[in-house]
Amino acid sequence: MTAYARMVRPGLADCLLWGAAALFILIPLASFLIFGFFSVVSNSIDYRPTLANFDELLSNSSYRTTFFRTMRMAFLVSATNLVLGYATAYFIWQRPPAWRNLMVIALAIPLLMSYIIKIYAMRGVLGTNGLLNSATMALGIIDEPVSALLFNLTAVRITLSVVLLPFMVLPIYVALERIPASVLHAASDLGASEIQIFARVVLPLSLPGGIVGAMFTFVLASGDFLAPELVGGIEGFTYGRLIFSQFGLAFNWPLGAALSIVLMIVALGVIYAARRFGNPRWQR
Amino acid sequence: MANPETGSPAAADVGLPLLRIRGLGARFGTVEAIKPLDLDVNDGEFLTILGPSGSGKTTLLRTIAGFQPPSAGRIEFDGKDIADLPINRRPFNTVFQDYALFPHMTVRENVGFGLRVRGTAKAQLNDRVDAALGIVGLEEFDARYPSQLSGGQQQRTALARAMICEPRLILLDEPLAALDAALRRQMQNFLKTLQRQSGITFLFVTHDQSEAITMSDRICVMRSGSIEQIGTPRELYYRPKSRFVAAFFGASNIVEPCRIHETRDDATIVETPVGQFRISGPPPDSSSGLALAIRPEALGPEDETRVNTLELEVVAVSFVGSETITELRHRRTSQVFTMKTRSDPAARPPDIGSILNIGFDPAECALVTEAAN
Ligand SMILES: Nc1ncnc2c1ncn2[C@@H]1O[C@H](COP(=O)(O)OP(=O)(O)OP(=O)(O)O)[C@@H](O)[C@H]1O
Ligand SMILES: [Mg+2]
Repeated sequence: MTAYARMVRPGLADCLLWGAAALFILIPLASFLIFGFFSVVSNSIDYRPTLANFDELLSNSSYRTTFFRTMRMAFLVSATNLVLGYATAYFIWQRPPAWRNLMVIALAIPLLMSYIIKIYAMRGVLGTNGLLNSATMALGIIDEPVSALLFNLTAVRITLSVVLLPFMVLPIYVALERIPASVLHAASDLGASEIQIFARVVLPLSLPGGIVGAMFTFVLASGDFLAPELVGGIEGFTYGRLIFSQFGLAFNWPLGAALSIVLMIVALGVIYAARRFGNPRWQR
Repeated sequence: MANPETGSPAAADVGLPLLRIRGLGARFGTVEAIKPLDLDVNDGEFLTILGPSGSGKTTLLRTIAGFQPPSAGRIEFDGKDIADLPINRRPFNTVFQDYALFPHMTVRENVGFGLRVRGTAKAQLNDRVDAALGIVGLEEFDARYPSQLSGGQQQRTALARAMICEPRLILLDEPLAALDAALRRQMQNFLKTLQRQSGITFLFVTHDQSEAITMSDRICVMRSGSIEQIGTPRELYYRPKSRFVAAFFGASNIVEPCRIHETRDDATIVETPVGQFRISGPPPDSSSGLALAIRPEALGPEDETRVNTLELEVVAVSFVGSETITELRHRRTSQVFTMKTRSDPAARPPDIGSILNIGFDPAECALVTEAAN
């Protein structure tokens, strides 16, 4: 390759990449989001720009209630999974190398399965005749099946926790894998106990992975509508379902787009925060 | 002072080694990385483990530190068996080859780590960290992260971190390997001075024989998992026991086969294909594969000290600055010798093909065997 070609190629590749990103992601997204600034007048869309949708969102308290309920739910899912994810990733990391790879693959397989099937599977676990009820009854922990496990916000939280867990475990595990063995040896050599090594070395060094996982989980949980739709019942009405309904029954695309813009701003804010705190000073 | 009756723990007083290794072995599956070996490390000495790549130096150090379980043998520190002590309770510290600094901690936090996990009070911790940073000359860098330090600074941080708990023994695995030549020499002096002033025992690993010679009180040469020879740098340099040690320390002229002709009080006379020579000292215990090892710088024009003589033909002469290297050949046997002499600006180099009368000192050569054991 000539020096000239070497100089030009990256530039060309960059242009193509950015062009493709614009063509396939940014333009469709923008052409959808722009609806947020239109309105519906007698069942058809009025293309004159307006902020009326955002006015409606701010003034109508039922939107706000749904928004905050959903954010709280997504936060709880992230927090729960941060703990569960750490425990799982740490457990895998402590196995012998041959086991580790198997376990990581086993963890990644559900990601390839259909999302709807996974949610139906969770419905089977949580229902009155479900696995959880049968098991706890067989063990004599409860006498009667508990119906409180399905068609409410708790069911949504449990379902999302389960299906989103790999998004937490994998980044934490990758971060753990990247800690050099000699660094752990050094800590031990200097007199640190197992607990001190975890608290002072392992946790801070893998926290960026945890933050990335929490970001994934929060963004996915806050926008999800399928899980709430299928296991949430009336009580489990979330922001994602609110958006979804604007495109179905309500047939109000402009309001749906405006709701989406709000969700996207939240997601971008979370991603920004994750980049800021998930990339500590010592790494830069 | 010494009181053997009461079993005084002051090991140095009663001449006990600080670290006593007996029959220690280590294996990876079927690979015997260390064959059962004995080693004593005396209190306050600078002992270097020297050997080529793969000879088991790192494995030996890791076994002592506790990172690698031994397959056999005993390790005693200060007279007490430490086999069952977990890593974090062993009374000595390690400087790792890749430094293994904590990337998320500043220099100050790295150095103070050993004290912090022991719950040392804040004020005392700060004082001791300041002192340690002063010793290694890193006072101004205390707020930096390891990624913001040069190789030499990282190395000194690792050293200060290992010294902070005032261990009596520090294990160092090729701590200078990653540094460039100039910095390396500077750090060699620094380490040696530090060791002498602090009185801490150093068990130091390297594969660089000149580094071992300049820094060590004693050198332990390892070869494929066994100890080949232990001795002072002078002993190993002038009295290597095996061909391997001789070659490692640069005695590259090997004359063989060698037969012992006569043994006198202070010397041995040997018979070789290139002539009969007189060697200072007694012959080695074993005589399997006996050979004569002569250093290139021991060869020179025949004179009253270089009483062992040879007639050699000049094959090539190369001027390498302060030294001149001459390739010589013994006509009848075609045995090749390398001679290293101080360059003399006045002298004319010898002609290729000319015959020279070359001699060497009986004290500057050694009888070596196939293997030391
Ligand atoms: N984790 C391991 N698994 C299997 N074999 C190993 C392992 N570590 C070392 N060995 C083997 O043990 C022997 C000694 O290795 P060791 O690392 O102690 O050598 P070394 O003298 O430190 O070499 P170097 O100068 O290259 O660091 C080598 O033959 C090596 O292949
Ligand atoms: Mg090594």
